[in-house]
Amino acid sequence: MAKESLLWQVRHFVYAHFAENTRPPSVDEAAAHFDISMEEAREYYKELHKSHAIFLEADKDINNLAIRMAWPFSAVPTDFKVHANGKTYFANCAWDMLGVPAALHSDAVIEAVCTESNETVQLVVKNGQIMESRSKAKRTIHQLLVHFPLPFSRWYDDLVFT
Amino acid sequence: MLLFRSEEWIDKWCQRNNLERGEVLTIQKVWEFSRLWYHNRLSLEYHGRNIEQVVEIFRQAGLMSKFWYV
Repeated sequence: MAKESLLWQVRHFVYAHFAENTRPPSVDEAAAHFDISMEEAREYYKELHKSHAIFLEADKDINNLAIRMAWPFSAVPTDFKVHANGKTYFANCAWDMLGVPAALHSDAVIEAVCTESNETVQLVVKNGQIMESRSKAKRTIHQLLVHFPLPFSRWYDDLVFT
Repeated sequence: MLLFRSEEWIDKWCQRNNLERGEVLTIQKVWEFSRLWYHNRLSLEYHGRNIEQVVEIFRQAGLMSKFWYV
């Protein structure tokens, strides 16, 4: 199998694993799935990271690469929790919390925290429509806003901040 | 990208963090944008996007300001 072809199969495996298990596969899980060495799997992960297909968070042990983001999915808990297909996912940001049902092509219930006000909101995605399921202040969904702090050209400068 | 209940909270957050205000979209607009951006993310055929494809998604989403220049 050509290396380029396997690279995108690894990307697909990462996403399918995330969708199924709500967490990314480890390097050894990817190596086992494709029957390749840990070193090869690690190189594919690094290549996908370089092409912005995933975002790796390397700890002090270079052999222990971990996927932090496979957009819209987050491997770490965030303020953006998405319940879909009987599972619970974390999204990277307010945009990605909507990206999860968009990627899964599913209905979803989203629990999110508004920045600064710390208000918790619950959104429902059903049949391609989005609505707010409850609002103590009787506000409407139209008043919920998403702030994109950086222009697109700078999104990859600091992905955690973005 | 963070969620806010109102423009006032965004201004407070920007002020507190000493950051310039970026682009603000309604949740409905972000939902439409998300569907365009993420609908094929789980597909084996998805191999990332070139600049033209990104520009086209922004155009379809109505994101045409300088903020979205690729």
